[in-house]
Amino acid sequence: MTRLSHRPLVILGRLAVLAIILIGAELGVRYGMLSQLFFSSPSQIFEALLTQWSNGSFLQDAGITILETMLGLAAGSLLGMGIGLLLPQLRLLSSVFEPFLMVLNGIPVIVIAPLFILWLGLGVPSKIGISVYIVFFAMFIPVYTASLRLDTTLVDALRVMGASRSQIFWKVIVPSSLPSVYTGLKIGSGLALIGAVIGEFVASRAGLGHMILYASGTLDTPTLYLGILTLAIFAAALSLTIDALGPVLVHWRFSDEK
Amino acid sequence: MLEFRNISFSFPGRRGPVEVLRDVSFTCAEDEIVAVIGPSGCGKSTLLSLAIGLRKPTAGEVLLDGRPVKGADRRLGMLFQQTTLLPWRSVLENIELGLEIRGELKAQRRKRALALMQQYGLAGFERKYPHALSGGMQKRAALAQTLAIEPTVLLLDEPFAALDAQTRVVIENDVVKICRAGKRTMVIVTHDIAEAISMADRVVVLSRRPATVKQIYQIPLSRKAANVADVPSMQEFTYFFKSIWDALDISVTGMSAAA
Ligand SMILES: Nc1ncnc2c1ncn2[C@@H]1O[C@H](COP(=O)(O)OP(=O)(O)OP(=O)(O)O)[C@@H](O)[C@H]1O
Ligand SMILES: [Mg+2]
Repeated sequence: MTRLSHRPLVILGRLAVLAIILIGAELGVRYGMLSQLFFSSPSQIFEALLTQWSNGSFLQDAGITILETMLGLAAGSLLGMGIGLLLPQLRLLSSVFEPFLMVLNGIPVIVIAPLFILWLGLGVPSKIGISVYIVFFAMFIPVYTASLRLDTTLVDALRVMGASRSQIFWKVIVPSSLPSVYTGLKIGSGLALIGAVIGEFVASRAGLGHMILYASGTLDTPTLYLGILTLAIFAAALSLTIDALGPVLVHWRFSDEK
Repeated sequence: MLEFRNISFSFPGRRGPVEVLRDVSFTCAEDEIVAVIGPSGCGKSTLLSLAIGLRKPTAGEVLLDGRPVKGADRRLGMLFQQTTLLPWRSVLENIELGLEIRGELKAQRRKRALALMQQYGLAGFERKYPHALSGGMQKRAALAQTLAIEPTVLLLDEPFAALDAQTRVVIENDVVKICRAGKRTMVIVTHDIAEAISMADRVVVLSRRPATVKQIYQIPLSRKAANVADVPSMQEFTYFFKSIWDALDISVTGMSAAA
C-alpha cells in the first residue's frame, strides 16, 4: 500500500512516465529516430482510430471482442462454479470424472481453438466457446479443491443443529467457496480475453484480434498499435471491475464492520 | 436421561484400527451435570461425537431417554472444542443460526439472539465478524449459539478453557443455573479438576487411550454452593481434588511416556 502522504507524488510520477512515453514516441517517430514500420506516434494512432471509427469497424471490432469476453467469462464462471460445487457432493461421480477433467485442463487452448472453429464456425459462437473452455477450468479448479478441503467441523456443527443437506450446501459449502470463486474470477477474466483473441487469431471475420492480425498483414502499424492499446485498456478495466467485486463476494475478509 | 452403555470405539487407521474408547459406561440424569475429565487425546471429544450421532460406536450404544440417539436430534445441543462460528456471518447471524435452521421467524430469532448477546457480554459486537473477536469472546458467542436453541441435553467440549478467570466464573455460574432451572442434562468435558468439582454433580475420570472409566465421583458440593466460586473454599474440596488428581495419574514420568 502506498502511504497517504506519498499519494500525490505517486500520481505525479505516473503521469510523468506516461507523458515521457507519449512525447518520446511522438517526437521519435516524427523526426525519424524511430522507424515508422516498427513504431507509431500517438497522433498516427489517433488518426487510425478516426479512420476505423468513421467506417464503423472500430466499434464493431471492439464490441465483438468485448461481447465474446464477457459472455465467455460469465458462462465459463457459472459452469465452473456450479460443477466445482456439485461434483464433490457426489463422491462417485467425482472420482470417475476427475482424471478426464485434469487431462482436458492440460490441453493448451491454442491447440483446442481450431476444433471450436470447426464446430461452431467463423463467427462469435466459436470465440465464446474457447473462452468458456479456459474460464471453466480457471473457476472449476480452485472451487473444486476448496470444496474437497471443506472444514468438516463446520458441517458437523450444522448437522447437529438439524440442518438438511440443502441447508448445509447453501449455508456452509457455497459461502466457504466464495474466496475461491473470487480467485477464479480474477484468473478467469484475463483468460476470457485471451480465449476470445486466440479464437480471432485462428480464424475470424471481425474483432480486435482480427483487426490486429489484418493490420499486421498489411503493415498498417498505427492500426496494429490501436488494437493492442484498445485490448490493454479493456483488460485493465475488466480487472479493476473484478477487483471491486472482492468486498462484495468475500465481505467478511474485507471489513470488520458491516 | 443420557446413557452411555458399554461404548467402545476405534478409528480406522492405516495400520489397523486405533482403539480410542473401551467399554465406557455412565449415565447423566435429567437435572444433572456430569463432568468428563481425562488426559489429552484420550477420546473425550470422540465420546461426545458419539453422543450426538456424528459417529457410530463400534460396540455399545448411546441412549437418550431409553432410545438410541440418531443424528440431528432436536433435544441435543453441542459446543464443539474447535470454533464452529461461520466466518462469513456476523456474530449476531451466527447466534441466530440454529433458530434459522429450525425455520423460526426472523424477528423472533433476532430478539432472542440479541438478548443472549447482552447476557454474554457481546453487546456492541453484533455486526462484527468472528475473526474480529478475541478467543474468549468467540467461545462465548459459540456458547450463545448453542444455548439459543434451548436444548434439553447440552454437551460442552472444554467450553471455558479460553476465558479469563472472572468471566469464567460468571459464565460457569450461568451455565449451572441454566441447567438446574430448565431441568436439563449436561455433560462438560474439561481438563480443569477444580472446574469439574465446582460445577458437576458427578465427575467421570477416563484413563489414557484406549480410554476406560477409571473412577466416577459423586460430588455433592455444587448443589450446596450458591456460587461455583464458593466451592473451592468448601471443606471437602481438597479431598475430591486430591482423589481425582491421583486417579488421573498426572505424573511427570507418565506425561513424558505419553509424548
Ligand atoms: N478423525 C480421526 N481419525 C483418526 N483418529 C482420530 C480422529 N480424531 C481423533 N483421533 C484420535 O483419537 C484420539 C482421541 O481424540 P479426541 O479428540 O477424542 O481426544 P480428546 O480427549 O478430546 O483430547 P483433548 O483433551 O486434547 O481435546 C486421539 O488420539 C486422536 O489422535
Ligand atoms: Mg477434545
